[in-house]
Amino acid sequence: MKLLFRRWRQRWRMPELRLLLLALIVSVTVVTAVGFFSSRVENAMQAQARQLLGGDLVLASSRPLDNAWLQYGKDLGLETAETISFPSMVSSGDKLQLSQLKAVSSGYPLRGELKTAAAPDAPEQLAAGQLPARGEIWAESRLFADLGVKPGAQVTLGRSVFTLTRVLTQEPDRGVNLFQLAPQVLMNLDDLPATGLLSPASRASFNQLFAGTDKAVRQLQQKLKPQLKPTERIRTLAEDLSSVDQTLQRSGRFLGLATLLSVVLAGAAVALTSTSLMRRELAAVAVLKAMGMSRRQVLLDHAFSLLLTAVLAAVIGVTLGLVLQFGLAEWLSRFVGKDLPAPGPLPALTGLLTAVILLLGFALPQLLQLVNASPMQILQGALQRPRQSVWVVVASLLLAVFGLLWLQSQDLKLAGMLFAGLLVGVAVFWSLAVAALRLTQTVGRRLQSRWMPSLGRSRRAVLLVVVFATGLFTLLLLTTVRTDLLDRWQETLPPDAPDNFLINIQPAEVGPLQAFFAAHGVKTELYPMIRGRLVEINGKPAQPDDYPEQRAQRLLEREFNLSSFAEFPGSNVLLQGKWFDGNAQGFSIEKGIGETLHFGMGDTLTFDIAGQRLTDTVTSVREVRWDSMQPNFFVIAAPGRLEQLPKTFITSIHLGEKKALVTDLIHQFPSVTVIDIGDIMAQMSSLIEQVSAAVEGIFVFTLIAGVVVLIAALQSQKAERRREIAILKSLGAGRAELRRRIWGEFLLLGALAGLLAGLLALTAGNLFGYYLFDLDMHLNLWPLLMGGVVGSALVGVAGYWNLRALLNVLPLSLLKA
Amino acid sequence: MNNTIIQTDNLVKTIPQAGRELQILRGVSLRIEAGESVAITGASGSGKSTLLGLLAGLDLPTSGAAQLFGQPLAGLDEDQRAALRLGKVGFVFQSFHLLENLTALENVMLPLELDFTPHPGLPPQEGKEQSAREALRQVGLAERMGHFPNQLSGGEQQRVALARAFVTRPQVLFADEPTGNLDRATGHEISDLLFDLQEKLHTTLVLITHDETLAAQCRQHYRLEEGVLV
Repeated sequence: MKLLFRRWRQRWRMPELRLLLLALIVSVTVVTAVGFFSSRVENAMQAQARQLLGGDLVLASSRPLDNAWLQYGKDLGLETAETISFPSMVSSGDKLQLSQLKAVSSGYPLRGELKTAAAPDAPEQLAAGQLPARGEIWAESRLFADLGVKPGAQVTLGRSVFTLTRVLTQEPDRGVNLFQLAPQVLMNLDDLPATGLLSPASRASFNQLFAGTDKAVRQLQQKLKPQLKPTERIRTLAEDLSSVDQTLQRSGRFLGLATLLSVVLAGAAVALTSTSLMRRELAAVAVLKAMGMSRRQVLLDHAFSLLLTAVLAAVIGVTLGLVLQFGLAEWLSRFVGKDLPAPGPLPALTGLLTAVILLLGFALPQLLQLVNASPMQILQGALQRPRQSVWVVVASLLLAVFGLLWLQSQDLKLAGMLFAGLLVGVAVFWSLAVAALRLTQTVGRRLQSRWMPSLGRSRRAVLLVVVFATGLFTLLLLTTVRTDLLDRWQETLPPDAPDNFLINIQPAEVGPLQAFFAAHGVKTELYPMIRGRLVEINGKPAQPDDYPEQRAQRLLEREFNLSSFAEFPGSNVLLQGKWFDGNAQGFSIEKGIGETLHFGMGDTLTFDIAGQRLTDTVTSVREVRWDSMQPNFFVIAAPGRLEQLPKTFITSIHLGEKKALVTDLIHQFPSVTVIDIGDIMAQMSSLIEQVSAAVEGIFVFTLIAGVVVLIAALQSQKAERRREIAILKSLGAGRAELRRRIWGEFLLLGALAGLLAGLLALTAGNLFGYYLFDLDMHLNLWPLLMGGVVGSALVGVAGYWNLRALLNVLPLSLLKA
Repeated sequence: MNNTIIQTDNLVKTIPQAGRELQILRGVSLRIEAGESVAITGASGSGKSTLLGLLAGLDLPTSGAAQLFGQPLAGLDEDQRAALRLGKVGFVFQSFHLLENLTALENVMLPLELDFTPHPGLPPQEGKEQSAREALRQVGLAERMGHFPNQLSGGEQQRVALARAFVTRPQVLFADEPTGNLDRATGHEISDLLFDLQEKLHTTLVLITHDETLAAQCRQHYRLEEGVLV
């Protein structure tokens, strides 16, 4: 054992082992820093998203819930709370107003914050665990305006009289219930029975909220699931397909993508250094074997060396990663907030696993070749790398790359796509590099230019171009993903995205409302909205019991929103069939609802709309972007089809600075409900900002990994370079000539690599955007230009810097070493 | 007691080359007794190195039999043959083949440390270092023990190689053109040192060279011509 340590210490004198350790440390640091940081950010995002639910898990029902569940949750160590909400009239004097009443138990909200103000124009304050006391209610400012009262006024709810004490400005779980009709009123649950408002026939939403450890929440969910009644449903962050959820999913993908690229880069560095390490050790092992060293000992010696290196790299890398992520979190605290949750231990394990996979896949097979080093070749003076196991090396390399991609993305589909992309990329790079080098060679010969460096058709030049191009590609891809994709994604949420929804617009109000908005310069488009139940599919009754999935059952139990208009909604994508375009027949359906309820193109649907039947055939299928902040509909009927049916209208508008219009609006159109989604918008864009910031932070690590690859590639060819320079010097080449050759070669190689990298990054970025993030294809020449410039600058400087010491050495001593 | 160190019987070695079988050795029979010094000369490409490899058990013949220390090599795998050499065989190569990242002292200690599993036969670490220092003193490099190979001249490097070869007091030393990379004067120094040590330690020497004067210093001299010894 002591001897093995000695051998490692002796090996440490080789620059290759130090470079290998550096590459490993960089990759472990990247993985753990990113892992720690993104786990914290993701936890924070989830916590933020949970706020929108009011808890980690919500059991919701249209019927009173069994209190046994609350008890079960408590037994699991979960915090619990109860809410019951339903529409109810509030009166003050002779004024009546429909409100959305929510009675809450103590503990509410389990996640997120409740904010109130003393008066409609007073600053808002955190309720900090307080709830309306018995006999008091809190309400949104709109109710104060609607009833014409001030805080302290007496209002009647059912059989009880309450004091309206505070203005409700923010409650966490309102975001989920976007289409809320009436101003929210919050009361103490204990006051509810006395009001007599809740009768067995009342339409109400009963909710039990739970919050606590992930494990306990999962346990509760597993227990609940099989016992749910048809009227009950579970809502968790994972199951609630809200806008926030889609945003979260994308965020995770962006972060994962950034990490993957760094890891692949570090892998390239590890592979390169272990190749040169192996080449250096080959002769030594052959000599030792001649002296009587067994294959087992060769294996033991090198395996121990690698293991020690991996452990060292893991310890240093995890420590650095931990430190760096704190720095990163501090640096980004403006975006992610000061109080990120603590990171879990998992990223440290991932870091260690990454080091082990990197060595197993990238370094060990190469070093295992040493076991087969032949002492005979030493005698024959022709030491060659053992040939038989090249395929083993390639296979293990590929396996390791895939393993790393999978480990990082935890998504088989994404890992597969990236892996395939990488393979195609390397193949494309290789052929393009060969072609480009041939071209420069031909051009150089034609021009007979002294200044055209000779790159040769050598494998070395091709390898350098491919390595540099791969490194630059990952950097450029990250840049394009970061700037280009992110910009385009953010463009889908333009600054003038709607910030208010208007619902409950009566048909008679459509004209005056349009005039009102036109007068104030606000763009708006009104869509009819009709609530209908799907009763028949292809003439057969659609029964909830026919569908095993709960989502399908719920869809059939509820009424859904139908609309009808002529213009194709801009934020949707037509997947099948044709838009109406003058046709007065047909339904256009959302893809997801068709999949859930098993209907599609050509099927006939019948809706029951307030007792009237509407039957038509599906003529198109759309994909809907629910996070577009536009009114979206599962089913759209041909224009004019809803003419005779009772309906209201809905619209979304961007008010921005003109927020004060709302008061005017409510005065002129008392029955119209205005929903301010500015808060939700703000939450969403802060999420996006957090993601951009995190990706930018990770970009720094990728840059470091890229530089290590560059050094590794140069180092792996240094011996060859040394010989070449010695020969050129002995043939009489001067320093100036050699310098010119080196600069010329690396600048040209860098430019070639950069152009190739830019080309591929452009292609890959577009493919990623199109397939993973639903963005349109887009031609941006920036990566090409940047690739060429950055490539030649980076590679030129690095190449010259790496070889400059060799220029000063005498030819004889160069040859001797 | 049997004093035969190496014995071969009708060794034949063929290698595939350009789709045809090329016969390098065509029946080499040879017997080397303990303490003998044997030179094998021949033109470049005559198969000298191939023969040395077969004698040392680095490779196996296509046909014929070879014995090392009285043990038939046929039927032994690579590791068993390596175990047979361990501590009993020394090598000196034309291009020295010192480990670049090891000092002169560490290079000489290497053969003493080859077996990672400690067993009673091997001296303790201090003992190993002592032996290595002594070996370097014997080749006149007492002052340069901490130097790395690239800080030493060619002659000095070969001296380190000699110290490394003799440090285990091997029963047989295989030397492959030990002076081939050195100038005449240095070559003489090295060959004098080689024969001195061989005599002092009663080591069997198998020397491959194309230098006739060097070969003449050996007790026996074979010439390899067209695959057979003459």
